[in-house]
Amino acid sequence: MTEQYFVQQRGFHNIYNDDGTIWGFQFKMCTLYYKGLWLSQFRAGDAIVDGVVYPKETLIWNIQGIDYSREEMYDRMDQYWQVADTATVKVPCPGGLKQGYHTVEIQFGWICNYNAALEPDPNGNTLGIMGPYTRMSTAAGSAHPTERRLLLVW
Amino acid sequence: MVEYSAIQQRGFHNTCDAKGNLDGFEFRFTPKYYKGLWFTQCRFGNVTVDGEVFDRDSLIFEYDGLEYTREELFDVKIYWQIRVPITVKVKKPGGLKLGYHDVSMDFGWVLNYNGEPEKEFDGSGLGNGGHMMGTENSRRMLLAR
Amino acid sequence: MSEIKKGTPKRGISVYSYCRLLGYTMTLDDVFEDMYDAGATCFELLANHIENYPNPSTQWIDHYFHLCEKYHMQPAEMGHWAETHLHRGPRMSDEQILANLIRDFKLANLLGFKSLRTKITCINEYCDPEPEWEHLMELALPYAEKYDVAMLSECHAPTKLTRQHIYDYLEFADKHQTKHFGINVDFGTFQNQWPEDIYSPEEMERRRSRGYGKPDSWSQPEDIIPILPYSKTCHAKFNYVDENFEERTIPYAKVLQLMVDNGWSGNLVSEYEGPGREDAAFLGDQLRRHHILMSRILGY
Repeated sequence: MTEQYFVQQRGFHNIYNDDGTIWGFQFKMCTLYYKGLWLSQFRAGDAIVDGVVYPKETLIWNIQGIDYSREEMYDRMDQYWQVADTATVKVPCPGGLKQGYHTVEIQFGWICNYNAALEPDPNGNTLGIMGPYTRMSTAAGSAHPTERRLLLVW
Repeated sequence: MVEYSAIQQRGFHNTCDAKGNLDGFEFRFTPKYYKGLWFTQCRFGNVTVDGEVFDRDSLIFEYDGLEYTREELFDVKIYWQIRVPITVKVKKPGGLKLGYHDVSMDFGWVLNYNGEPEKEFDGSGLGNGGHMMGTENSRRMLLAR
Repeated sequence: MSEIKKGTPKRGISVYSYCRLLGYTMTLDDVFEDMYDAGATCFELLANHIENYPNPSTQWIDHYFHLCEKYHMQPAEMGHWAETHLHRGPRMSDEQILANLIRDFKLANLLGFKSLRTKITCINEYCDPEPEWEHLMELALPYAEKYDVAMLSECHAPTKLTRQHIYDYLEFADKHQTKHFGINVDFGTFQNQWPEDIYSPEEMERRRSRGYGKPDSWSQPEDIIPILPYSKTCHAKFNYVDENFEERTIPYAKVLQLMVDNGWSGNLVSEYEGPGREDAAFLGDQLRRHHILMSRILGY
């Protein structure tokens, strides 16, 4: 199941090569939107960890078991990212992150065909016209920050 | 999935007889205990709604599609799976009025560690295990049908 | 005198720690993923975590082994109860009690467990056993051997490791020269601090009424040494691990070092049963802190 946070606690760790060296780290995220999205509607942005920017072009997005680059997702009108499902963001970073607390943020958005104008940039180079919704319109008015402090063990 | 409260919000409504007349109400219950229980270990008490007491021996308990009285459950060698609710069916001609109601049920169990065996040899009490969480389970709920 | 080879205990987690989340907001898949993130390599499951216990479907069993493979987890211990009073009235017959134990032994064996956390029926909060315990364990031993499981009775606070029944258990194991009966040491028995910023006065009052926290009511770290040969799995109980990865209520470094120095290589399963268990983020953070704490003491 998915936590009510953009950045999930589960799934945060370094990624190892077969020879034991670390090539990067990963974390999971969820849009928290009330509905799912076709991959072609999603607009992936940069990952920012401890203030270090990992450009969007370098990130690998794993959705339902398949890896995609940001570019590859633009044409996938046939793949639906189910509501409340998480995506795993893999960040190339030789040596990975040290054991301890890290501040993890992911920038993202999406396009939608109602309640707003069409996406201004026909190349899809922006973060779309919707999301993330950092303040949910619930009675409690809960805030959902896009960054989260997480503990990495390995 | 179940709610944290022992008395569940889902499943609370009036019931009808075969002719469509309101004949009672029902609600779902799941112990807050960290493990499941054999039904033979369970000690069911009275249901109280808005101060009206429904004797424990008048209640019907439905689990996995089968109905039992409190007396029958003493011999039911079935494991009450954790986080799977039982439905408690209460007879009351005309059912409950639509609106808020204070619903409670006494419930306990026997366990074989951390304490002495149950005092009531015939199982007429609330066992020896419910004291950890309290044997009275109450909730104010809104009945809409 | 030859030097004792240092022990290499395995770090694990008890699924019991998730008992206020599993089935509410987490599935078993989520729990395995969480344990994996903490660096755990083994786990404890309670019998009721087995779907449709005591008769799991083959589909569930397949999925269980899939989770073990996917997350590189070894089954460490299954928690079960040696019930003797399942129905009102008199104690169950030996045949009835034994049949239930054998059922659990078979299930544990099927699911790959070598240890069982066996709750023997007891008569007070210090878990002094029912008088017939020895007879029951003698009946059960051949089956525990057959299904290759060790019945480990838990020493849990407020019981001290020097309580008479612990000695009786060790004597039983020696008398029968068996590795299929022993002790699971819950580290809560070593708790010797109750910091005011963790325990409110009301909480302390409640605990004292149950035998906790009174002077001389806890085990000393050295008390674990004679128990080690009889223990395959221990509950690495913790109450709060702070931001510096220190556990402030139990002398962790001392206890773990003694275990390692005395050659113990069993399963250490983290167990949390304090407040905040309904908050997945808090619990997940505490379990990760606990594993960092243990990894720094153990060196891996």
